[in-house]
Order: sequence, then structure tokens, then C-alpha cells
Amino acid sequence: MTGAQLVIDMLVKQGVSSVFGYPGGAIMPIYDALYGAPLKHYLTRHEQGAGFAAVGYARSTGKLGVCFATSGPGATNLVTALADAMMDSVPLLAITGQVPTAAIGSDAFQEVDVLGMSLSCTKHSFMVERGEDLAEVLQQAMHIAQSGRPGPVLVDIPKDIQQAQVPVTAWQSEVYQPTPLSSFELDKANALLAQAKKPVAYVGGGVHSADAQAELMAFLQRTQMPAVSTLKALGSVRPEYAYDLGMLGMHGGQAANLAVQECDLLVCIGARFDDRVTGNLAKFAANAKVIHLDIDPAEVGKRKPAAASLIADLKVSLPLLQGELAPAPWRAHISALAEQHAWRYDYPGDKVYAPYLLNRLSRLMPDTGVVCCDVGQHQMWVAQHMRFSHPSNHLSSGGAGTMGFGLPAAIGAQVARPEDMVITVSGDGSIMMNIQELATIRRNNLPVKIVILDNQRLGMVRQWQQLFFDGRYSETNLSDNPDFVQLAAVFGIPGQTITRANEVDGAVDALLASTGPYILHACIDDKENVWPLVPPGAANHEMLTQLQQQN
Amino acid sequence: MKHQLTVAVNNQAIAVERFLRVARHRGFRLTQLELQGHEELFHVKMTVDSDKPIYLLTSQLNKLVEVQSVDLHTLQQAI
Repeated sequence: MTGAQLVIDMLVKQGVSSVFGYPGGAIMPIYDALYGAPLKHYLTRHEQGAGFAAVGYARSTGKLGVCFATSGPGATNLVTALADAMMDSVPLLAITGQVPTAAIGSDAFQEVDVLGMSLSCTKHSFMVERGEDLAEVLQQAMHIAQSGRPGPVLVDIPKDIQQAQVPVTAWQSEVYQPTPLSSFELDKANALLAQAKKPVAYVGGGVHSADAQAELMAFLQRTQMPAVSTLKALGSVRPEYAYDLGMLGMHGGQAANLAVQECDLLVCIGARFDDRVTGNLAKFAANAKVIHLDIDPAEVGKRKPAAASLIADLKVSLPLLQGELAPAPWRAHISALAEQHAWRYDYPGDKVYAPYLLNRLSRLMPDTGVVCCDVGQHQMWVAQHMRFSHPSNHLSSGGAGTMGFGLPAAIGAQVARPEDMVITVSGDGSIMMNIQELATIRRNNLPVKIVILDNQRLGMVRQWQQLFFDGRYSETNLSDNPDFVQLAAVFGIPGQTITRANEVDGAVDALLASTGPYILHACIDDKENVWPLVPPGAANHEMLTQLQQQN
Repeated sequence: MKHQLTVAVNNQAIAVERFLRVARHRGFRLTQLELQGHEELFHVKMTVDSDKPIYLLTSQLNKLVEVQSVDLHTLQQAI
């Protein structure tokens, strides 16, 4: 068996059924081995698209996402997707072709030091130096990507090793060996829970990584503790939970941020106190003690000290937390906060109001549907105004904040879940970042729905220019955008443009009724901002709100 | 504050690059480095300087696949 055949054989034997990629000179032997193999390859139109499709596949299923690229520019084009997967702890395997071993270091055609390049954007990376190492490297790579805190792993394979005969070694099952949970820390955590008068659960992306939604909900049902979510966690707290306050942080809901600022115990469940969550860290939950549950010990104490830390898989640690019922006055206060600061959709005027459109879409789309986002104002509106029943139904580039994520991630999600509706919500800036992937949708007849909220601006940057840069709108005007419906039509994708509020309901119905791909191009007010907003350097209770701005 | 660490990593050039990158990126300035290759492991003695608590570095180094052990000699700063 050649090295190339071994790559395909091992992926198939490990249950990988779909890969995303783009061929080129140094990876041709692997593409040759792929020819006729029982492994479906999706050709994207840019390696970044392949990387994000693999991320979308992984995040919508919890399974390993796999992408291929050639050496040099093929590999460099994967970097953004790797960095994204690193920040958001996504299990990803990237396999890159490399120039032949003898040519490495000679500045050969399409040669880049991919192993060196990978250091800052992967959980781990390999360059295969000998054919006899290939099987073990691939096995380790798949294990590392999926075990502990998941992440991207890159395997760089020189062309001569792909072509050489290599030994096939039996798969050695590796079992992840977590450090045993500290009973001392567990006792401390349970004592803190017993003493708390105003506890809040701060839920992060770790719940999805650990597939621990059931354990989270059991904990919340026992304690009736108010819950706030990070962007990545949205969907982890079931929407019917009475004390779900939605997203916290820079664009979080007022009730969520105020609850955290007032709490005396913050139970951090698979989250990492990201700066977009905390605002001014010194003033974040300043009166709260922290119980930190995470599989990664490096996250504990990295940004905020923990009074008790449970370093373990959340599936193991969450059931060990004892369930004291949160005090009734605190729960009543939370309910009042939630009611006082509920989202409103009674928007005056006849322009399309994006929050209303998204909320309506959320209420009418199937509960099993997946929403992918790009990055910017529309992304925050999705987080605020759409509800999800599972974190695998909301794919948003969190830590990296990568524009161009949404369309290819939706392709990956649709491939992974062909029976479920997949909708990508984008902006007129972001959609152009990977617009070439419309060709991938067409090539594979994928019924991906596309919503473009078009304000003819790089809206989030424009909003900051308005608020913090004296209205100096440097390079954020996109009024020369192409006609998006015409553009989609070139790729065989039907759709419509709407400009008025009274067109929204019908347009959402048309999008949901379409059986194939569809584009809804919604023109919105270029001056619309995302509220509330925690200004840079401020504490989370010092939010700017729409009401304040109007006054 | 200066801290001295001894790090045992797998005997691969990339392993050394990997943990030196982590030290730099996490805000620890390298002031001294001594590397000795043995059959399977490199033993690296390094001194780093930073205002940050040293556990922010050791916790990241311990996560690296090729790092076998991290020993800190300025124990008063460790947790």
C-alpha cells in the first residue's frame, strides 16, 4: 500500500465519510488514491472554503472534520480555518501535501515551511519524515484532534512518502486519560454552592465539546439557577428553561449582564472569560466567587481566579455538583430583570428591521435547523434574536471572529446533515469573503439558504466609527456592492430582494418553503446599530442602550 | 521576575520551536537557554523573565504533546 492509499484507507476505517479539499501538485498521489474510494470528497473553490466546510461539518455533528490542501499556497490558505478551529476548540484534521523530502529546504516550487507555520494555529502538527511513521502519525493526529479539549491537527506529508510503499500497522486504540477529579476541589465547590444567595451559571462552548447538554440541563433543573451563555454556548441551555438569560458580554442582553454583575457565585461551565464576555475584567462579576469547570487546566486562573476548580470532562464533573435550589428572591429578581429587558420588535418605520426578520425566521424554521453566521452586526443579531435547541444548530466564528466563515461552514453542515435545513445569515461585507463557494453549493445541489442583511456597509466597523471615532467613516462604505440576487442567479440559485418591512413575512415564508438553495437579500437601514453595547474598557453593567441613544 | 525551568521534550527539532513559541507568545522573555540532546529527549534549561505569574506559562507548556515534564525552580511563584 502506498502512503497515499494508507491515508484514504485509515480515514475510511475510522468512519470518515466526507472530506473537503482542493488538489494540487504535492498532494496529487492522495487525490489519485481518492479516485473511486468510498470517501466522498467535496471540491471547494478555495482552500479556506475547504477548511471552514470541515469546521462546519465538525461543529454541526461533534465529529472530526477533515480537509485536504496542497503544499505552499494551498496550505497557507488553510491557516485562517485552522486558527478559527483553534480558538473555538473544533476537532479538525488538515492533511497537506508537501514537496518531496529531498527538495525540502531548497525553496522548491510551492514549498512553504508548513510545519513551522502551523505552530501558532494548531493544537498539534506533524511532518511525516519516514514512510514507516505515517500510520502512527495519522492515528495520533485523529486522537489528539478529538481528545481532551478538541482542536485542529495538521499532518504535512511529503509527496515521496505519499508515493512510497509504507507499512500498515494495526490501529492501536488510545484512551484519553484525564487527571482524576480532585475531591478536595469538589467539596469546596459544593460548599460554595450551598452558601450562595445569588448564583449564576456561565455556560460556554465546552458543553457542546463534551456533548454535555443533558448534564447541564439536569444541573440547571435541580438548582433553577439563572444561566447566561457565551456566543459559542447558545443552544446549550434549552430555550424552554425558565431562567435562561441568553448571551452575556459586549452585545449580550441587559438581564444577562446585570445578573452576572450582581451574582455572588459564578459557576463557569466550559468557558474561558474571553474579553468580549467580561468587558472590564476587574469589574466583571466583582462580588462573585468562581467555580470553574473545564477540561483544560490552563484555562483555570488564566483570566479570573477560581475559588474552586473542577478539571474534568463536563459529562463527569457536572453530575457531581450538588443541587441546592437557588433562593426564591434571587430567582424572582432574575425573572423581573428578564421581563424588564425583554427584546422588543415594535420597530417604527417601514424599513426592514433585521432583529424582527431573524426572530421570525427563528420561530418558523424547523427546530432541527442549523444557522451559520458570518461576523459583524448580523452575527450579533442572530445571537440576540434567534433561539436554538442545541449548540450544534448555531455555528458562529467565536474566538477568531472570521468573516467568510458562514457560507463554507453552511456547506459543511449541509453535507453532514442532509435532512436538516441549513441557513447561513451573512452581511454584505462577509458574504463576499468566500463568495466563490456558491459554486460548491451549485456543484453539489446543496439546499443551503442564504440570508444577506445588506446595509451597504461594514456595519460593525461603521458602528464603532460612529460611536468611538467621531463619525470618520474610513473604508466602510460598500454602496458599490454587486446585485446579490443576480450574482446568485449566475450560480443557479433563485431568490429575491426586499427593502420594506411589509415584505419580510412573505420573504421568510418563501425562503423556508424553497426546496433547493435560496437567497434572501434584505436591504436594511445603513444606520442601524447593535444594542446594547458595552463600550471598550467599561464594565458590563455600563452598557449603552438603544433607549439612551435615542434620548 | 525571572524563573528557571527545566523542560523535557521529545527529541525533535520542532518540539523546541513549539515550546519557545509558546513562551514568547504568552509574554515570557527568554534570557537564557541551554539544550542537551539525549537519546529520546531534549533537556532544556531555560530562564524567562516576565511580570506575569509563571503558572500562565507552565500550564500552557504542560499541554504540549511533545513536552514530557516541566520543572520550575523558582517555586515560590508556582501554584
